[in-house]
Amino acid sequence: MRLAWRNLIQERTRLALSVVGVALAILLILLLQGFLRGMFQQIAAYLEHSPGSVVVAQDGVVNLLGATSLLPQGAAEDVAAVEGVSSVVPILSQFVILDFHGKKQPAYLVGYDPAIGGGPWDMVEGSEPVADDEVVVDRVLAQRHDLGLGDRFQIMDREFTIVGLSQGTTSWMTSFLFIRKTAAEGLVRVPGATSFLLVSPEAGEDAQSLRLRLSGITGTQSLLKTEMIANDSKLFGKLFSAPIRLMAGIAFLVGTLVVGLVIYTATVERRREYGVLKAVGAPNRVLFGVVTLQALVASAAGSLGGVALAAGAASVIMRLRPQFLIILEPSAVGGAIAAGVGMALLAALLPARIVANLPPAEVFRR
Amino acid sequence: MLRLAIRNLFQSRARLVITAGGVALSLLLILTLDAIFQGVERQVSAYIDQSGADVFVAQQGVRNMHMASSSLPAAALGQVEAVPGVGSVTPILYVTNVVSIGDSRNVAYVIGLPDGAQAGGPARTVAGRGLPRPGEAIIDRSIALKAGVGLGDEVKILGRAFTVAGLTTGMVNLVSSVAFISMEDFRQARAGSDAVSFLLVRARDGVPPADLAARIEDQVGGVTAQTTAEFAAGERRVIRDMSTDLLAIMNLVGMLIGLAVMALTTYTASLGRRAEYGVLKALGARNADLRLTVVFQAMLSVALGFTAGLALTFLLAALVPLTGANLLLLVKSDSLVKVGVISLVIAGASAVLPVVQIGRLDPAQVFRGGLGR
Amino acid sequence: MTTATLDVQHVSKVYGDGETQVRAVQDVSLTVGPGEIVLIMGPSGSGKTTLLSMLGALLRPTEGRISLNGEDLTAAGEGRLPGIRLRHFGFIFQDFNLLSALSALENVAIVAQLAGLRNGAARTKAAGVLEALGLGKRLNFLPEKLSGGEKQRVAIARALVNDPALILADEPTANLDSKIGHEIMQVLRRIAKEQGRSVVIVSHDQRIKDIADRVLWLEDGRFKELVTMAEDPVCRMAVERENGISAMWDGDTYYFCSRGCRAEFLENPAEFAHPKRP
Repeated sequence: MRLAWRNLIQERTRLALSVVGVALAILLILLLQGFLRGMFQQIAAYLEHSPGSVVVAQDGVVNLLGATSLLPQGAAEDVAAVEGVSSVVPILSQFVILDFHGKKQPAYLVGYDPAIGGGPWDMVEGSEPVADDEVVVDRVLAQRHDLGLGDRFQIMDREFTIVGLSQGTTSWMTSFLFIRKTAAEGLVRVPGATSFLLVSPEAGEDAQSLRLRLSGITGTQSLLKTEMIANDSKLFGKLFSAPIRLMAGIAFLVGTLVVGLVIYTATVERRREYGVLKAVGAPNRVLFGVVTLQALVASAAGSLGGVALAAGAASVIMRLRPQFLIILEPSAVGGAIAAGVGMALLAALLPARIVANLPPAEVFRR
Repeated sequence: MLRLAIRNLFQSRARLVITAGGVALSLLLILTLDAIFQGVERQVSAYIDQSGADVFVAQQGVRNMHMASSSLPAAALGQVEAVPGVGSVTPILYVTNVVSIGDSRNVAYVIGLPDGAQAGGPARTVAGRGLPRPGEAIIDRSIALKAGVGLGDEVKILGRAFTVAGLTTGMVNLVSSVAFISMEDFRQARAGSDAVSFLLVRARDGVPPADLAARIEDQVGGVTAQTTAEFAAGERRVIRDMSTDLLAIMNLVGMLIGLAVMALTTYTASLGRRAEYGVLKALGARNADLRLTVVFQAMLSVALGFTAGLALTFLLAALVPLTGANLLLLVKSDSLVKVGVISLVIAGASAVLPVVQIGRLDPAQVFRGGLGR
Repeated sequence: MTTATLDVQHVSKVYGDGETQVRAVQDVSLTVGPGEIVLIMGPSGSGKTTLLSMLGALLRPTEGRISLNGEDLTAAGEGRLPGIRLRHFGFIFQDFNLLSALSALENVAIVAQLAGLRNGAARTKAAGVLEALGLGKRLNFLPEKLSGGEKQRVAIARALVNDPALILADEPTANLDSKIGHEIMQVLRRIAKEQGRSVVIVSHDQRIKDIADRVLWLEDGRFKELVTMAEDPVCRMAVERENGISAMWDGDTYYFCSRGCRAEFLENPAEFAHPKRP
């Protein structure tokens, strides 16, 4: 298959440009996927690190990051009274919008009792809030808005002082803020309000059966923490999946087009050579092989380049904009290679048809 | 030379499709993403835009509705009514909650409306009633359709059962919709507190909303008052500020892709014409003449690609809602200008290599049996 | 003798230096007058193409001077050469070298436009030249739809449209069959004689000698002493007078390719006798 190789590298600049085109298309696809995967990890972070394995929410609420949940009064006592419950961690949480020097920053406010739990799990600076006007802020959020320990800012109509910075508590859309539960109750003007109860089963107790037993309490909904995480992922997935799939599809088409152009041009230029091959008896099968091999080489180089580019781009993006988390998994890389192969096979179709229809007589003209 | 550029460009249909198509797709990436976010912005402020109010009064420090909550004491109603220039004040209760229909759960902004609400109710009712009575709920038509329910059927909101008494449209987006129940029902579900979330104020004739908002803030303590326009703009800002970085990254990648495609196709096209350009040089064409042809051909290709990309975006915008997804694609002139500039840059940059190579073409080669590579 | 259109004085082209030096053209001098057709023949690698390139201002000589209508081309700046080529030369190639995306009319018009004519005027002029060459019905055809002879005529029209003083043709009949080649030769002859243009043709094709006023033989970069060609009356081959195989009969000198032909001639001279070629 030296012919395939030679035809391809004869025009080095052209090949280089097409490899770049494919690499960029693969880059985009990988970035989109990595971004989605990273986002899922970010939005699951709180529940994954919080105590308990069963969550009790307001009836009808199955997300942490969707609807606002408000449990009926006395729910905490009712839950604690259920058999098999080892501990109950109450939190009062909702979305808030912060106004920082003209920019709107959505944040998820968690009001908790530091003595019981449900707050940040990884503190990098400072300490958890002791007074009702203290707040723990995610360090990336603080960095983005030039804030540090001791700085003050407004949440709704109250001012809070930053006493701690946490890690792993941000996503590209929002960040987590932690204040005392009593402070949160003051903000929403509902004393004793609770959004969620994070319930831990006793040793030897099965989470699923505990959940069933908790489901009887009026006005509430209990679900496994894992279910809630899955629901949040589904909600955000619904939001992003259509645009992301659309863009990945477009990127794929672009890559195909790029490879297709190079192979098509190379084939048309070498029409006479192919005609000669045919005249001396090479079957169409062999010529298809040449064309397809060229396409595969071009796209393979592009795919590998794209993977390298993606790794580089991901680390640059995450360094410059740390609110983004882009996770490139081996399976995604495998998918990228597969996409590259797909591009190549599609791209080879038209040139293969040209080659098939070529009359061997071309060779004797001029 | 311009005619030559046009003829060269259209000589091979396959090449033309690939060139214009490649550019169109890369620009489509940018245009579509912009359009999606513009659509989300438009949808996010829909309720506020259509509320019929001139000023929104909220808890002090609260300037948004989406992803926020607000709580005002009952006394605030009287205080705001007393402000000169106020025509009517409608209190509403608001929370982001869930409309449960059977097994389906739909996130919704739940609005509790008082009797005879003069603002804050649904703007476009397509079936049944526009204002809910106790025990009734007004929900979005597409949510109802998807869950297979209609007027008279039961839904659960805030943990209680309601009968669907009306269907609305125009206030739904990909992940949420708006549902209306009576304020009484809302209060009961919220343990009877008499607080309200927002006060929707209509100004008296001839009173500018901006003045009224400022006056309300002055005279009533513990509130933030914004004109409807400001409030809506603030909602859109949330989306915009959230998406700036993401859009910048995607725009960059899209532009690079477009550049690579254009560079490749321009280079390939010009490569194939090397022999002919050499002939022209031998016949006496100057470098400038040939460079003009190359640049013009690149510009023309990109212009075609831009048009195709734009057409595809509009096509997508028309088709996507037909799939049932509540995704709105909105193409705005800002986006078009940006993409237009990107196209120009792409066209220019892609022509650089061929333009340089024209200078190096040796016309004397024309007698040696063809200028191949 | 009329003033020479083309005056070539001691022109050489040398590539490289020292031991690897290649002298493609060596001390060549030549003048061509208006209306004159000069044929340059010679073996491959003799420097014909290099010489033609220099004549056409596509290549600068290493030594020597080339003037066209009194204007010194070798002294002209690089920036002026394209304009000179455009207005004073017409090129005809072995491969026709038409622009594949343009019609016959457009192929000719574009050269007129490059010389400054506006679109409409260029097209009118181009149409005129094409019609004069019998291509009136083929104006809007693409090259791929034209026969070889038609393509070469389009090329000739393109070469003529800017009214050049000198036509340079490189193997103009090489890709044409015998009959068409003959027609093209006649066209070139008409152009020279009726329009007073100088024509320099480089070719292997013996038949072109029929229309040439002078035949020059280039070998190893040199004109092999301005040879004058004659035709062997027996075998009709082109022979150099200077090769020494000749015979006199009835006051005329006849030249032969070999002793065999001369012997044959002398057996029956009256039968073979032809007027001497000029």
